[in-house]
Amino acid sequence: MIKRSFFSLNQPRLLYDLVEPDLKEPESIPLPASLSVLLPEEIDSTKQALIKKGDTVKKGEKLRLYDDSTAYTLSPVAGTIQLFDTYSDDFGKVATFIIIKPDLTKPCEADTIKLDTIEDIEFANQFLRKLPGAPPFEILANDDIKINTIVITCADTDLLSTTNQFVGLMYTDEIKAGAKILKAMTRVPKICITIPEALNTQVNFNSIQVIKTGNFYPSTLPAMIMKDHLNMVLPAGQTPENMGVCFIRAEALVSLARVYETREAVFDKILTLIGKDGTRHRVRATIGTPLSKIFSRFNIHVNEQDRIIIGGPMRGFATFTIHHPVLADMDTVIIQDRDIIPQLSDTPCVNCGKCIRICPVNIPVNLLVRYLEADQYEEAADRFDLESCIECGLCAYVCTARIPLYQYIRLGKHELLTLRADA
Amino acid sequence: MTTNKLTVSHAPFWHDGDSLFQMNLNILFALLPAAIFGIIQFGTPALGVVALSISTAMLWETVMNLLAKKPLTVGDLDSAVIGMIFGIMLPATSPFWLVVVGTFVAVVIGKMIFGGIGANPFNPALIGMSFLMLSWKVMFDFDTAYVNYDFGFTALAPLAALKFQGAAAIADLFPTGDLIMGKQVGAIGSTFGLGIILGGIYLILRGYIRWEISISFILGIIVTAFCFNMANPQVYGGPAIHLFSGYTLLGAFFLATENSSSPVNKIPMFIYGFSAAVMIILMRNIGVYEDGTVLAILLLNLVNPLVDNIRPKALGKAGNNA
Repeated sequence: MIKRSFFSLNQPRLLYDLVEPDLKEPESIPLPASLSVLLPEEIDSTKQALIKKGDTVKKGEKLRLYDDSTAYTLSPVAGTIQLFDTYSDDFGKVATFIIIKPDLTKPCEADTIKLDTIEDIEFANQFLRKLPGAPPFEILANDDIKINTIVITCADTDLLSTTNQFVGLMYTDEIKAGAKILKAMTRVPKICITIPEALNTQVNFNSIQVIKTGNFYPSTLPAMIMKDHLNMVLPAGQTPENMGVCFIRAEALVSLARVYETREAVFDKILTLIGKDGTRHRVRATIGTPLSKIFSRFNIHVNEQDRIIIGGPMRGFATFTIHHPVLADMDTVIIQDRDIIPQLSDTPCVNCGKCIRICPVNIPVNLLVRYLEADQYEEAADRFDLESCIECGLCAYVCTARIPLYQYIRLGKHELLTLRADA
Repeated sequence: MTTNKLTVSHAPFWHDGDSLFQMNLNILFALLPAAIFGIIQFGTPALGVVALSISTAMLWETVMNLLAKKPLTVGDLDSAVIGMIFGIMLPATSPFWLVVVGTFVAVVIGKMIFGGIGANPFNPALIGMSFLMLSWKVMFDFDTAYVNYDFGFTALAPLAALKFQGAAAIADLFPTGDLIMGKQVGAIGSTFGLGIILGGIYLILRGYIRWEISISFILGIIVTAFCFNMANPQVYGGPAIHLFSGYTLLGAFFLATENSSSPVNKIPMFIYGFSAAVMIILMRNIGVYEDGTVLAILLLNLVNPLVDNIRPKALGKAGNNA
């Protein structure tokens, strides 16, 4: 954890981590005894589900809940469905998790679904949404959203994380191949790739325009890249997609290239595991592998009241179970010892102004939080720029009163959307 | 399989390690040079006043917490800072009841009834101080307060002398060096200019007070006092005597910078600091008060919410700022 320096006349500067110079192949985690995959749809008990306990599934088989479902997931292995049940995330968003027991006896070949790979975005949306790297095909295939710039992220958005850089440097050729396929699919005129400017590398990305991102957090967040490099100001409350910019992980392109080469879906996700002492392990695991399997591979013990952070220290989320599965968009897993977990408080804002000085988008956080604490979400959005927030978490990081500001802001945005949906 | 319970909370999972306790501890630490010098200069009565002030301020907060059936909040040291600042703004000879009444007004009326830390629209120590100054004006006559002391330097309160005798008459009485080194009579912690400046610079470097307020405040004193002095050097004192006597330096580093009653945006901070200083000099030179620091800063506390509306536009915001 980066602490406040003794002299802090200036605001603290948080440096992004860089990938190690000598890249090694990631450590492979063997297939576990059971895997769980998430399907972003709620179980509706009035309907007859398409899947049931005991069904055999093939590797790469599309799993859907109901006939009219658009949400789907892919089975990462050939095996049998053991269980499916409801999962809810930190904002109460409900999904379904499906536990699959791999069948290791049968030969793999026959049990793998072969894809008729065509360079068409609708095909990709129908079959490839759940590849490692979570490619945003749903957005790209949506006719209502006109995307004219695709930004491939090789610069990690959060601190400590180096997975995207690793993938970017290690699998450059596959990224180029993937970008070619993506371009043919989407016919997007402009494709860029972000690389940290501090990374001393001579990688040639051919026709892809390289964007060198800054060294300090939060310069690689989408809104900041758009502002600094694409000369676009993200209007309050809008997403980059609304402005015609789509961000895609480098790993998604690698997966795409592999799918078109092998004609079958791939499920090997690369992630970085950061232990309590800060040691990094680069891991290759099948999507759906429980995190506990990865921990035991490296002899990491998770004790009572420790914290498992998925994503980075500034923007990630904490999971409640060590059996949380590896997901397609999971880049970094951090284990934080309970002794270094910072305490929060319910002290009111003392108006010290540190959040104002550090906020990259000039939000009057000191005033905003007073309205959020009082549940005045519409007022907060109208007068105090709630929707301008790019969700970097720096305000909560520096808060002297230790108010969970970022939590208030996320909750505020969430509640605001609910309010507007109800209205 | 383990079933350990994990800690689940919201991002960010890091914190820079700062806390209210740390901040207030640093402010107390920065006040020490001025306070210790005052105690050495004015003796045990000064120690008694400061100690009583800090302890009663904390006591009042505890009493209010208990009465309101709220968790105890004295641990953040906020009322200790109020007590400390309040104590060193008193003359060393203040009677005990004056201190107790003052901290009551400061902590209970200045802070607790508004909702405690962070909710006070005015600097609590100044609320207490202005209450005492209006109620027992005679207690703040520094010339009579120290009548039994033998200092070995001009035992005249500089600002009172300036007000009633004019700048020309006192020109040689108060060399700037003496004022900075604490050879003047005044409140316990307001005489040792060098100590206050060192404490202030420490807090600025540590990032606990906002330099924009302090610098613009000092600049405001210098510019305004210089203009008056130029207009009539016989009557109006120069920048040095205004800056290094009375509560001016305390105001610049500890009073005007109180978090919840001062602005946080850049331009408002400059406006706030500068105008507070202009008000002080106006009160001293034109008004009836010898030292207008207390009332001038309270006045600017009042306009703080207004000036703090001048703020940069947030990213992607359409239209004008509210």
